[in-house]
Amino acid sequence: MTAIVEGRGLTRTFAMPSGPVTALRDVSFQMAPAEYVAITGPSGCGKSTLLHLLGCVDAPSSGSLLFEGRDVAALSESQRSRIRLTRVGFVFQRFFLLPMLDAWENVELPQAEMGAGLDVRRARTRELLEYVGLGDRARHRPSQLSGGEMQRVAIARALANRPALLLADEPTGELDEDTGEQIADLFDRVHADGTAIVVVTHNPLLARRAQRHLVMKRGTLDGSGE
Amino acid sequence: MTSRALAWRTITAEPARAALAIAGVTVIGALLFDMLMLSQGLLVSFREMLDTTGYDVRVVATDAFPGRVDITNASEVAADIAGLPEVRDVAVVRSDRAIVVVPDRPATEVALLNLSEGAERQGWRIVEGADLGAIRRSESSPPAVISRSLARALGLRPGSALPLRVLISGAASAVPLVTFTVVGIAEFQFEGNGAEALATTFDAFQRARASMSSDTADLILVASRPPIEAAATVAAISARRHDVHAFSNEQIVERFNENGFAYFRQISFVLSTITLGFAFLLVTSLLTVSVNQRLGQVAALRALGVPRHRIAATLVWESALLVGAGGLLSLPTGWLLALELDRILRDMPNIPERLHFFVLEPRLALWHLGLIALTGVAAVLYPVWVAARLPIAATLRFETIS
Repeated sequence: MTAIVEGRGLTRTFAMPSGPVTALRDVSFQMAPAEYVAITGPSGCGKSTLLHLLGCVDAPSSGSLLFEGRDVAALSESQRSRIRLTRVGFVFQRFFLLPMLDAWENVELPQAEMGAGLDVRRARTRELLEYVGLGDRARHRPSQLSGGEMQRVAIARALANRPALLLADEPTGELDEDTGEQIADLFDRVHADGTAIVVVTHNPLLARRAQRHLVMKRGTLDGSGE
Repeated sequence: MTSRALAWRTITAEPARAALAIAGVTVIGALLFDMLMLSQGLLVSFREMLDTTGYDVRVVATDAFPGRVDITNASEVAADIAGLPEVRDVAVVRSDRAIVVVPDRPATEVALLNLSEGAERQGWRIVEGADLGAIRRSESSPPAVISRSLARALGLRPGSALPLRVLISGAASAVPLVTFTVVGIAEFQFEGNGAEALATTFDAFQRARASMSSDTADLILVASRPPIEAAATVAAISARRHDVHAFSNEQIVERFNENGFAYFRQISFVLSTITLGFAFLLVTSLLTVSVNQRLGQVAALRALGVPRHRIAATLVWESALLVGAGGLLSLPTGWLLALELDRILRDMPNIPERLHFFVLEPRLALWHLGLIALTGVAAVLYPVWVAARLPIAATLRFETIS
């Protein structure tokens, strides 16, 4: 079976005023369909950098990345953008919902971007908001929602185009423990429904839910390539 | 959701910011509109003023028009020109300065005018009383039509007596005092707003100038016979008479454009450019600040697969909505402002009644909207560049940390 995403010898170096900083060193990583992986490690160890590479929002300084068998380096910016829109879902620590849109519109936005018809969008948006338990908050704006509710809307938005891979960067970082548990439960459901998940977290309870738990230190991945 | 809808929602989410932006564009746009009107206003109203007299050619004594050299033998010249097949009508215009001497009132200097018979209707519009031709001639008391300001200043009405002496440098005492009878009060087309003027018949005009007068005129107005154009009439007059110079209205407007009105055009060009610069800076600043405030959102949208061109289109729509609303509002605002500025400028002495500094023309409104639209497009380029070139990963990292 083709891996959803496969990184080989990934290195990412950033040019800084004080000199180049290597955030990721020769990391190899493979993700099977419907797999659930948690990556933990201290701050600044390169977790988010790896996540950004896997999600095609950044390019490695060296090494290669294959997304569903396609070499990402060979793709144009618009092709990478299309992969992000159709095959990848992103969940951010700070939600990044559009504040001028309500929950319904935030979830509908990526579908409209993909060109889904109005009826399809309506049905999918209703389904997703019910799925994350916010069917009755559809017309609330982010400012009218709690942190946990905003993150659930963000998860619904990430799932809008039925991605093969859901990438979550510290999804419980802004939430209290109970709300974090609810988000973790939601990820379990998403995974059970067949979506592959990579979650970067400091939250051990969330990491424990994953099938595979990788630890990152100073830009290298323990157990990479498992 | 379309880019336009997203832009609309972004703008309406912060109504105070949007209102300030639109108000700023409205004020700047109104000034721009006024500058455009000022650049053309005098020319347009001057051309209209010339055209509405019904004469399309003016004959003067010197090529250095506008100048003040009298045409000698004016009646003979006018009759000769009237005989040309290209000419339908001829009117002789004479003017002088005079002093009105009313008992218990300070002497008032006025413009004394005479238009050849039949041409009066082109020179003034009666607002009270009767015109010169409507009154039976009286040997003892020649008729006069006076301007509204002169009537107001001296409390004159139709039937009032008006003693007047023509002013001739160094010879005032030799000119007799002639008492006119006011037959009508009029709005003089060529006299300045508030100017004090008096028009009378040729006989009375000559009588007022006494023996010092000769058959001179300031200019001769000529109307071409339809469908002959003014240029052909000018050529015919020039070929017939070498002692005078003929100009079409278009040539006169062009001369004024090159000389007297050029200052207004230059001033309005400089101010228009500055105004456009302000509009550009205002919109660029607002949109750049707006983009910088939501870099995280933009990066997140890009991470979710929203392509660059969609982000750019949304920003262009934001600019279009803000600048468009301000631009449209600037039209009535600018027009109201122009009315007030025009009123102030026309209060200056010796500005003809029908001359305006600001004239509303549809093409100027289109020019204005076009310039505003171009400014809006130019102003959005930098914010679009910022949003489109945004490094997604670095921005997400920075926004999360901050």
